[in-house]
Amino acid sequence: MTADTRLNEAEAREQLIDLAADIYDQMNAGDIPSMTIPTRTKSNIEYSEEEDVWVYGDRTSTRSANSVRGARKLLKAVYTVDFLAEQLDQDRSSTLRELYYLSESWDNDEAQFNDQDESNQLVEDLEIVTEVTREDFHMRPEESGAKVMGPLHLREQTNRGDREIHCQLDVGQGGYQIPNNPDTIEFLENDAEFVLCVETGGMRDRLVENGFDEEYDTIIVHLGGQPARATRRLTKRLHDELDLPVVVFTDGDPWSYRIYGSVAYGSIKSAHLSEYLATPEADFIGIQPEDIVEYDLPTDPLADSDVNALESELEDPRFQTDYWREQIELQLDIGKKSEQQALASHGLDFVTDTYLPERLEAMGHI
Amino acid sequence: MTSFQQTLGAEEGVAEELAETQRAISIAEFFEKNKHMLGFDSGARGLVTAVKEAVDNALDATEEAGILPDIYVEIEEVGDYYRLTVEDNGPGITKEQLPKIFGKLLYGSRFHVREQNRGQQGIGISAAVLYSQLTSGKPAEITSRPKGADRAQYFELIIDTDENEPEIRAEEETTWDRPHGTRIELEMEANMRARQQLHDYVLHTAVVNPHARIELREPGLDEPLKFERATDELPAETDEIRPHPHGVELGTLLKMLKATDSHSVSGFLQGEFTRVGKKTADGIIDSFRDEHFGRELSWSSPDSHEDADVRRAVQQAVSNKGKEATADFADRIANVLEERERMSYHELETIADNAADAVEEEHPKAFGSTVRENAVEAVWAQVTGDAAAGDDGEASMGDAEANLDAETRRRADVYALIDDATSDRKDDETLDGLARRIAEKLTAETGPRDRLTLDELEDYVARSADMTEKQGDGVSIGDTARENVIEALWEISRTVPDEPPKVRSLQDDRNSASSLLEGMRSVDVMAPPTSCLAPITDGLIEAGLKKEYDADFYAASTRDADVHGGDPFIVEAGIAYGGEIAEEGSVDVMRFANRVPLVYQRGACATTDVVKSIGWRNYNLEQPGGSGIPNGPAVIMVHVASTNVPFTSESKDAVANVPAMEDEIELAIREAARELKSFLKKRQSMQQRKHKQNKLGEILPEMARKVAEVTDQDEPVFDDALARIMNNVLIERSVEANGDATTVSVTVENNSDRSESPKLTEIVTAEPRDVSDGASVTEMDGEYFLTWEPSVGGGESATLAYEIDGDAEYDLQVDGVEDPKLTVSE
Repeated sequence: MTADTRLNEAEAREQLIDLAADIYDQMNAGDIPSMTIPTRTKSNIEYSEEEDVWVYGDRTSTRSANSVRGARKLLKAVYTVDFLAEQLDQDRSSTLRELYYLSESWDNDEAQFNDQDESNQLVEDLEIVTEVTREDFHMRPEESGAKVMGPLHLREQTNRGDREIHCQLDVGQGGYQIPNNPDTIEFLENDAEFVLCVETGGMRDRLVENGFDEEYDTIIVHLGGQPARATRRLTKRLHDELDLPVVVFTDGDPWSYRIYGSVAYGSIKSAHLSEYLATPEADFIGIQPEDIVEYDLPTDPLADSDVNALESELEDPRFQTDYWREQIELQLDIGKKSEQQALASHGLDFVTDTYLPERLEAMGHI
Repeated sequence: MTSFQQTLGAEEGVAEELAETQRAISIAEFFEKNKHMLGFDSGARGLVTAVKEAVDNALDATEEAGILPDIYVEIEEVGDYYRLTVEDNGPGITKEQLPKIFGKLLYGSRFHVREQNRGQQGIGISAAVLYSQLTSGKPAEITSRPKGADRAQYFELIIDTDENEPEIRAEEETTWDRPHGTRIELEMEANMRARQQLHDYVLHTAVVNPHARIELREPGLDEPLKFERATDELPAETDEIRPHPHGVELGTLLKMLKATDSHSVSGFLQGEFTRVGKKTADGIIDSFRDEHFGRELSWSSPDSHEDADVRRAVQQAVSNKGKEATADFADRIANVLEERERMSYHELETIADNAADAVEEEHPKAFGSTVRENAVEAVWAQVTGDAAAGDDGEASMGDAEANLDAETRRRADVYALIDDATSDRKDDETLDGLARRIAEKLTAETGPRDRLTLDELEDYVARSADMTEKQGDGVSIGDTARENVIEALWEISRTVPDEPPKVRSLQDDRNSASSLLEGMRSVDVMAPPTSCLAPITDGLIEAGLKKEYDADFYAASTRDADVHGGDPFIVEAGIAYGGEIAEEGSVDVMRFANRVPLVYQRGACATTDVVKSIGWRNYNLEQPGGSGIPNGPAVIMVHVASTNVPFTSESKDAVANVPAMEDEIELAIREAARELKSFLKKRQSMQQRKHKQNKLGEILPEMARKVAEVTDQDEPVFDDALARIMNNVLIERSVEANGDATTVSVTVENNSDRSESPKLTEIVTAEPRDVSDGASVTEMDGEYFLTWEPSVGGGESATLAYEIDGDAEYDLQVDGVEDPKLTVSE
C-alpha cells in the first residue's frame, strides 16, 4: 500500500470479504482455518532501502483454529470483518472504542472482545492481512487532538460538504484540527518554509502566542505525545507534496526520542504502514542531550526506566546512527533529562528568540 | 501345601518348647499370660481372631484338596455369650486327626517348613478352642463329613489344661447337608465392638482370595454379607524348598552340619541348600578357604637379568643330583618364572613340582620332596628379596646394607601397588614409608609363605598407616586410601589350594563353621526358587479389587521374588481408584501376609510406613505435608508372600520393618501407581481434549455461519477441519457412481502423532466386489459385513475400497479408537 493508492469503499469491502472467503475455503476444504501475519516485535522490523523506512521482516505468526484461543481470535476477526463490511456498505464510520463496545451486542459470547487492546490489535491485524488501512475501513481513533497552525490553505471534504480553510486566518488560537483521515484534505496554497512538529501542548501554545509561525513562516503541528496516525500522515503529505522540510521538537528524554522515531521512521506497531506514515527526512531539533549541557537547562535525574529505555534505544535498529549513538551515550553519561519547557528558565521568549533560531540555523533550515 | 489335615510333622517347634517350660504352671495359665501375643486380649478382638483363625484354616484345607472354597461364617448371640460357626466345603477330618488338630495347643507342623502358608505357627485354631473353653466353659463342637461319607460325624472336644491333651466328650453320627466339609462351633465371651475390623477382615479376605465364596452373618446385619467368587482358578500349589545359603544363621548351620550325611563341605553345600551346584559350592569353598586359611601374597617374578640369581639359587639348593639334571631343573623353574608376572608361595611349589617331575623323566635322578622344598625356599628368597638379607652366608653382604635390602623386593612391589591405589597427591616419602612398614610386617609376621587372612592384612595396613602418620609431618592417610591399599593387596593375594576341613571337623568348631557361613554369605547365589510361593498374581488382584470395589481404574503388580534371610518373598500391590470409592477421608490400605488380611496394628506395619513415605501428590491424591496416608478415592492393597513373613509379634498383625522387604513393597506400589498416574494423565488429557472439542464445537459452527453470511454462500462443512484440529482419527466414506456399479472407499486418516488401529465393520446391503487387501467379507441375512483392521501410523491414512452393483445402504461401525478421538463422516 503506497501513499497514492487510495481505496474506495467498495474496494476496501472487497478486500475484507476476500479474507472471510479465504477462511470459508479453508473450512470447506477440511483445512484448519488460519491467518498468517508478520510478527510485530522490535526484532522483526528491518530497514527498507527502497522506501527509506522501517518495515516488517520475514517472520510471521499464525492465528490458527488449532487451539481454542486461536479459534476465538479467528471468530472475532470474522465478526469484525462482517461489521466493517456492513459499515462500508452503509458509508458509516465508527471509532475503535465503539467497535469494542459494539462487540458486546454480538450474539456470540466467544466473539466479544475482552478489552480494547484486543480489538485495536485485531483491526491492525486486519489492516495487515487485507492491505487496507484502518482509515479506509472507516475506523477512527477516539480523538486526534492534533492541530495545525501556519500559512497553509487547504480544502477538506467533510460529510457536510467541502470546506476551504486557511490554517492561520480562518482558525482560532487552537488552530486547525486534523481530521481522522487526512487524505480527505487537498492542499491549495502555502507560504511555509518548513514544518515544526511539537511534542507538548504547552510548547505549541507558547510558540503560537509568541507568533513563531508568522515570524518564520512555519506550519506548527502539535503531536500531543505519541502522534496519531492522522498527524503522521499529514506531516508526511506536507513533506512529500509541498516539499517542506520537517523538524521535530520534543522533550529531552528517551520517550521523546521514540516520538521522533515514529514520525521519521515509523512505529513498530504500524510498520506495515511505514511507507504511508513515516517521514524519513524529518530532522530532530531538540531538546538534545547536548543542549542540556550547552544551555545549562534545569534537569531531572534519569530514572532507572529512563536508563533502560536509552539502552534499549541503543539496540533499536531505528536509532543505529552516529548522531543518535553519540547523543544517547552523552545522556547516559550526564544522567540527566530536560523538558521542552525547561527553556523558560531563560525567559518566556528564549525559545522563540534564541533556541529555535539557533538550532534551525545550525541545521540549515533558516 | 501342608495343612493340619494331612501332615502331622514330628519336629518340635520352638513354640512348643516354650510351652513345655510353661507346662508346670498349666496350659491355661500359659494362655492367660500370652493371650495378647495370640490376639485374644479382649472379647472384641478375641472374636475377630477366632474368625480369622477358623477361616484361614478353612481356606487352607479346601485349597489343598483342590476345592474352590465355599465358606460360611455365622456369629449369634446366645445369652451372655457369642456363638461362632465356621463351615467349609473342605475334605473333612477323620476322627483320628481331629483331636490333634483342634485340641492340642501349639501343635503345628509348619513352623520349620519353608513354604508359603497362611498359618505359620500352628497356634491359631487351637488357641481359639482354648479361648472358647476358658471363657464359656463349653466344649468346641465339630461336625465333619469326609468326601464320599454317607453321614457326618459330630464331636464335642475339650482340652485338658493340665495335660495339654485333647479329650473327645461326645461323639455321634449326624446328618449334614454339605456333601463334604468341616464345621466348628465355638461359644465364647465376646462382644461386637470390633464389628468394623470383622467386616474388614472378611472383605479383605474376599479381595485377596478371588477364588473363594464367603458368606458372613452376624447379629448387626439384616442381610448376610455375601462375597462371590471372581475366578475358578485355585492358587498355584507350592513346593517345599531347602534353605538358601544366604538365609541361615550359625546355630542352624551347626545343626545342619550335624544332621547331614555328607562328608565334604562341597557335598554338604550342594545337598542341603537350594540353588547351590558345583560351581556355587566351589565359589563358597574358595571364599571359605580365604576366611579359614588366609591367602598367600604374590610378588612380581624376578626380571630376566635376575634369572641368573634364580638359577644359581636353585643350583645351590640342590645337591648330589648331577650337574646336568640340576641345571635342567634350575632352567625349567627359571623359565616358568620368567613367564609369570606374579608368584605366590603355593604357585611356586607347583612350578617346582612340575619341573622336578619333568626332570625325573629325562634324567635318572630322583627329586624327592626335600630337594623340591629346598629349591622352593631358595627361589622364594629370590622372589621376596629375602636372599639379599643373607640367611645363608654366601649371599651375605655386610650388615647395615643387608638389613636395608631385607624387604627390598616386597617393599618395591608394595610401593608400586599402593602408588597405583592411592590418589596422586600423596607424596613419595609417605608412600615409601607406608610401603616399607607394610613390607616389614609381611616379612616379620606372616611366616615364610606370606599367608594371611583379610583381617590380618587390614590390621597390618592400619598399623602401618598409623605409624606413618605419626612419623610424618602432617601426613594423613584417610580411610578411603587405606581401603584402596587393602583392596590392592588382597587382589594380588592368591586363594590357597589347601583341602577344606571335612564336615565332621566343622560340626564342633564354631570358628570354622562361622568362616564357612561368611563364605556362604559372600558369594552371589541365585535367588531361591519361587515354587514355594503362591502369589495371587496381578491379574487376580485386579479381579479381586474389581469384585469388591466399583472403581474407575484398577492396577496391580507382582514383583519378582527376592530373598530375606534365606526366605524368598514376593510382594504384590494393587490400587483401585475413583468410581464409587469415597472421595473423603484417607485411602484404605489393605495389608496382607500370605493371603491373610492384617487388620490390627496398622501403624506398626512396614506396609503402612512405605505407603506413608511415598509422595502421593504425584498420583492425584491429596497428601497434607507431602507424606503420610493420602486422602482421596483410592484403595491400596499390599500382599507379602513368603515362606517366613517377618512379623512384629506372634499375633501376626504387622510386617516388621525389614529393609529388603520395604524396598520391594515400595517398588510394587510404585509399579501399580505408575499405571495409575498414566491413567490419570490420560484421563486429564482426555478431559482437556473434550473441553477443547466442546469449545471448538461451539466456535467453528459460528465461524462457518458468519463466513457464509459475509461471503453470501452456503455454510461450509467443517467436520474434517475439526477432526484435523483435534488430531483425530477421521474416517470418511465416499461413494462414486461408476457406470452401473458404485465405487465405495472408506478412508482412515490419522491426524494424531501416534499410530492407531481402528476396527471397522462396514455393513452393506449389496455384495461387495473387488474388495481391497486386508479386509474380509461375511454374509449374513442378505447383509454383507466387511471387517477391516488397518494399522495407521501418525499422520498417515489408509483406504478400504470396494465396488457394488447399483445402489446400497451402508452402515459403518468403528471400534478400537477412543470416542473423543474419533470422527466418522459418512
